[in-house]
This record gives sequence, C-alpha cells and structure tokens, in this order.
Amino acid sequence: MELENYIGKPTGAGIIHVERGSVSRFALGVTDTNPVYHDLSAARAAGFEAPPVPPTWTFSSVFLGARPEEQPVDVTGGEGSPVMKIMQLLLRNGGLILHGEQEFRYHQSVQCGAVLYWQGRITDIYTRESKGKVMTFIVMENVFKDVAGEPVVTEIFNLIHRGN
Amino acid sequence: MPDTKTKNTLILQYDAITIGDEAPVISHALTRTDLVRYAGASGDFNPMHTDEVAAKDAGLPSVFGHGMFSMGLLGRAVTDWAGADNLKVYGVRFTKQTWPGETLSTRIVVSGKEETAEGKIIIAQLTLHNQDGEAKLSGTTRVLAA
Repeated sequence: MELENYIGKPTGAGIIHVERGSVSRFALGVTDTNPVYHDLSAARAAGFEAPPVPPTWTFSSVFLGARPEEQPVDVTGGEGSPVMKIMQLLLRNGGLILHGEQEFRYHQSVQCGAVLYWQGRITDIYTRESKGKVMTFIVMENVFKDVAGEPVVTEIFNLIHRGN
Repeated sequence: MPDTKTKNTLILQYDAITIGDEAPVISHALTRTDLVRYAGASGDFNPMHTDEVAAKDAGLPSVFGHGMFSMGLLGRAVTDWAGADNLKVYGVRFTKQTWPGETLSTRIVVSGKEETAEGKIIIAQLTLHNQDGEAKLSGTTRVLAA
C-alpha cells in the first residue's frame, strides 16, 4: 500500500475517564506539584469543581483512563493503528522515527470526573529532503469531545522517519 | 459530573503585560528516575527511555528523555505563570534529545497580545534548553489573561 493511501485513515477511538489518581500521578511525572492537580480543596479554592489536568495529559490519557468494557467497536477493523504499519514499512531500510511536533488546542476545561470521547486519524503524509536524507512526515490529529459531543481538546502532531 | 466549562481564576493581568516580559524560569536536573517516573505516569515504556542496556545496544550513549516529559516540564512553567487550565494553545517542535545529567531550563517570552472573541490572549514564545544553551524544544503558547 502506498503511504499516501493512509491519509484519512483512523488511528483509533475510545472512551476515557479523567480520574484523580492518574491525573495526580501524571502531574508528578512532569515534576508538577501544584496542589490544584493533587488536592480537591486546593482545586476548589482556585475556582475548579474538581482537579484540572496538566496541559499535556490528554496525550497519555488513552493509556491511563480507558476501561476495556466500555470501548467502542474497533474503528481500525481489527487491523490496529495504521501508524505501526507505516513505521514498519519505513524502517525496512533502517532509519529512525522521531516525534517532531506536538500541539494542543484547548476548547474547554478538562477536570477529574469527566468522560471524554476521542478519535484519531492520519491527516497528511509527505516527504522532504534534508541534508541528503529523506524525511517522511506522518501528521495526525486526535480530537477529544465531551458527553454532549462538544470539542474539548484537539491534538495535532507528527512523527518523522529520518532515512539513513 | 462536574461542569467541565467552569473556568479557573485568571492570573495574568492583560494591561500589565508588555511584549518582551519573561515568565519565571524553571530549572530541572534530569535524572534516570525522572524518565522511569514519567514512563509509569504516562504509560510510555519505550525502552530507549527506561532500559539502559537496550539503549546502549541500539548505539546510544544512554537512555534519553521522553520528548513529552520535556513538553510537560515546559508546560509546568507556562501554567505556573498563567495559571492551570488557562491555556488556549500550546505547541512545540522537538529539536534535540535530552540526556540524564543535563540541567533543563525554561524560557517564556511574551511576543504578542490580542483581544479576541474567546478572551484576552497573551502570546509567548517558549524554549527549553540545557546548561550549554542547546535548545531541546521551541514553541508557542496562547494563554488567557484577565
């Protein structure tokens, strides 16, 4: 399969619970001891209903807050994320996969107790030449929505394969 | 379920912010423990970040830091300055790997101000660099101000 044919393909989808334990552990994981992430009374004193999440939390949330029995039908049809296949294809001749860029756009507050619905897809694949090496860019987007279907966070990011 | 639309208190005062203002710097000496803690907290157990033997077998001098740890550390400097949950956009480009033993420092410089439909916005340019000034991340944020 030509790489371009993967543009638009879903990478996954799921339901995530924003749970205090994982949020607090994640905040400590990025050295953040701000009490609003750890202590309900501190969160309330700062104007939150419940502890909010650190800025990059949603990127890891797929690994932290998914309950298997609640997950929707596999949008990849049992094939798994096409990103793994693309990386295997690119790495056949060696090279290195790098995380190139990562952006978060915040539409609403994310606080503990919320349930989020996410969907990911590949939005672009292209190549560039740099210092005589072929760089292949895989651009992806993950959209997180609330129970009402309103967008909460959009993540736009890429992985780069740098050829030998 | 909490009302997820509840807004946090805004920290920055729009009229008091000037282009060129800098936020307080956070410096952090990166350790292997940081990498293991971030792996557990995030679920990212790529052995290049946690397994010294595997990293050396792959030709690397040691394990190296998760890019998303760096982004999290820089994000902490943004929220310490602008308040948790006051970000509208936070984006970075990963430019260099981080290594245990380096001291990583944040730099946040105000580059613009805009009054928009979503509120008063402060724009800042961001970098995370090591003790020799080598940039690890560069990026931009848009934060809400009062």
